Amino acid sequence: MLPTRSTNVASRVGRSFLAFFRIMRANPLTFAGFILVTIILVLAALVALVPSLIIPYGATQDTGAHEVAPTLFRWPPSLAHPFGTDQANIDLFSAVLRALPLDLAIGIGIAGIALVAGGILGLIAGFWDQPGTPGGAVSVVILRTTDVFLAFPSLVLALAIVASIGRGIWAAILAILITWWPYYVRLVRGETLAVKHLPYVTAARAAGVRETRILTRHILRNVLEPVIVYFTLDIGTVLVTFSTISFIGAGIPWPGPTPEWGSMMSFYQGNYPLEQFWWFITFPAIAIFVTALAFSLLGDGLRDVLDPRTRRALAESSSASTLPQEAPPTAATPTTPEQEEEAEEADES
Amino acid sequence: MTTPVLSVENLSVDYEVGAGVFHAVSDISLVIPPGRVVGIVGETGCGKSTLAQAIPRLLPEPPARIRSGKVIFQGTDLVPVPKAKLPMVRGTGIGMIFQEPLNSLNPAFRIYDQIAEAVQMRHWREDGILPSFHPGPAPFDYSRRPITMPSTADVLSRPVMPGTAKDVMAARRVRTRTDLRDEVLDYLRLVRINDPETILSLYPHELSGGMRQRIMIAMALSAKPALLIADEPTSALDVTIQAQVLTLMKELIDEVSASILYISHDLGVVAETADDLGVMYAGRLVEFGPVAEIFQTPRHPYTKSLLRSIPTRYKSDWPMPTIPGSVPNLSQLPAGCRFHPRCSLARPVCTQEPPPALRVIETTVGATTSHHAACHYAEEVPGLP
Repeated sequence: MLPTRSTNVASRVGRSFLAFFRIMRANPLTFAGFILVTIILVLAALVALVPSLIIPYGATQDTGAHEVAPTLFRWPPSLAHPFGTDQANIDLFSAVLRALPLDLAIGIGIAGIALVAGGILGLIAGFWDQPGTPGGAVSVVILRTTDVFLAFPSLVLALAIVASIGRGIWAAILAILITWWPYYVRLVRGETLAVKHLPYVTAARAAGVRETRILTRHILRNVLEPVIVYFTLDIGTVLVTFSTISFIGAGIPWPGPTPEWGSMMSFYQGNYPLEQFWWFITFPAIAIFVTALAFSLLGDGLRDVLDPRTRRALAESSSASTLPQEAPPTAATPTTPEQEEEAEEADES
Repeated sequence: MTTPVLSVENLSVDYEVGAGVFHAVSDISLVIPPGRVVGIVGETGCGKSTLAQAIPRLLPEPPARIRSGKVIFQGTDLVPVPKAKLPMVRGTGIGMIFQEPLNSLNPAFRIYDQIAEAVQMRHWREDGILPSFHPGPAPFDYSRRPITMPSTADVLSRPVMPGTAKDVMAARRVRTRTDLRDEVLDYLRLVRINDPETILSLYPHELSGGMRQRIMIAMALSAKPALLIADEPTSALDVTIQAQVLTLMKELIDEVSASILYISHDLGVVAETADDLGVMYAGRLVEFGPVAEIFQTPRHPYTKSLLRSIPTRYKSDWPMPTIPGSVPNLSQLPAGCRFHPRCSLARPVCTQEPPPALRVIETTVGATTSHHAACHYAEEVPGLP
């Protein structure tokens, strides 16, 4: 009986879901990272879409803290204010939560743009690197440009750029972007160089595959794996860097309408003693730490999921493996066309 | 007289590296008529693989450089063809099977994807979506409808352009996914793979070396090449699998009746598969002729010594005969005949004058290919021990 297309797709999705959870179970830290990232993303989406649902107080809303004790601002953590309130009686729980979508978008956005831009340049520089050809010249230009950027510590360079083009969120984002892409160029170029001389690339070439298709299909797929892992690890790094820039006071001003973890920490650290008002700085710091940690944990385990070799091994670690054996050459069994519909799944991929 | 599928004329290939110029292939001429299997044997480093890769121009240039000569494939010289146009010759024109089955399949894709890519590329070329040239009489025809195509020379002189949108739509209508999958399964069955449906969804690392080599053979055949170059397809496999793949190759050669260039370092393998045999030494073709003829009456001292060194169960001469000395460095080749330092027939003229490139020697009656040897004293070779 022919399976219909919809059940086929559904069963495939179900199977890959099951495989994914098997892999996650085999690797508890990755699973923790996955859960954390999921929570963070859901929270960020909720905060961005329906803020009233989870954020108790708005940006300038009276927290009512002074009504409990009229003279006491800077209310320490309590049930009403889990993270306490600051000197202006702003609810820190609300502020930290409201900063989540922005910080996340900055982390993923900057790392993502750097990944795409640096990745494309890295592929080009790695694949067409023959000296004396137009491609080789392009490759040299790309690589020497990255050298210029890599000569400075990226944080120092970003600070210098922010200092020269002015404060503000866009200046900070631009500054990080400018310093971030060369790392991806280097990484992708190195991977491309390693892959492009492998026999399967020559085999693809011998099969008549065009150079651009070799690059975008055969090489890209094999380069992707370490790059995506690096990307997830990098989200945390970008976040920390952005917070550092904010911390120094160049990013988003705080107190102000938009909270940002780094600028919050910067402001409180500069104006209020940590021993006395420990909750001011601790909770934004924990937010940065947890977000960076979540993506790092996930990224660490993603390698195993992305590699077909370890993926199947992990997925089948609990069930018995049924690999086909080497067939004797004479025992060819011509199968009738009616029997061919068994393994439809390969058709879809 | 049919035109040959491939004729190599005075081909010389150098490697220009820091240490100097290595003459990997020097002045080789070779003709492969349609439907004939030509074997090339030689020691490691004699230029066999360079020759194999130079024909579809797969060598990285630089460091490799085709110094001179022509590679005429179906009436078109491939040497001056610009790099961007070479893909349309490869695959459907000249197919290749490589030595390392373990690394020649992309680890990131399923078997289905890899064979389907080859099949689909042929479809696109047949339908005019991708630029192509006439692949000649299809050696093993699975096609479901007749297809007319322009000639090689026509297409190679045309700018690289995909087909029109109309062609694309027409092709999409004709071929469906199920057709493609059926065709992939056909080729898996052709290379005697049991249970091809299961194999389709596996990754290369889940298969054994022999299976992978079969997949490689299926991929090469699925493009229906006019010429198949097999570069030591059995060398990297262990002996039992080697025998299986060799049996498969022999059966396929009979079935497919394609023109094949079979490269090996194993005289026994070539004796079983090839119709004609070329013997290479230090980048030169030293002898060429029908297999039976060469095995019976070798006309070059090198071939003679090679044949003498094959161990057999019945020979009792011990120690086993070997060829004294070793292969010369390809950057500092000896003057005159390249084999003279190791040759028992060598005379003063051999150290100065290179032997005539492949002069014809009278053959036994009935041979289809004439027997050539590059030796000053070819007539004396049969008299050697």
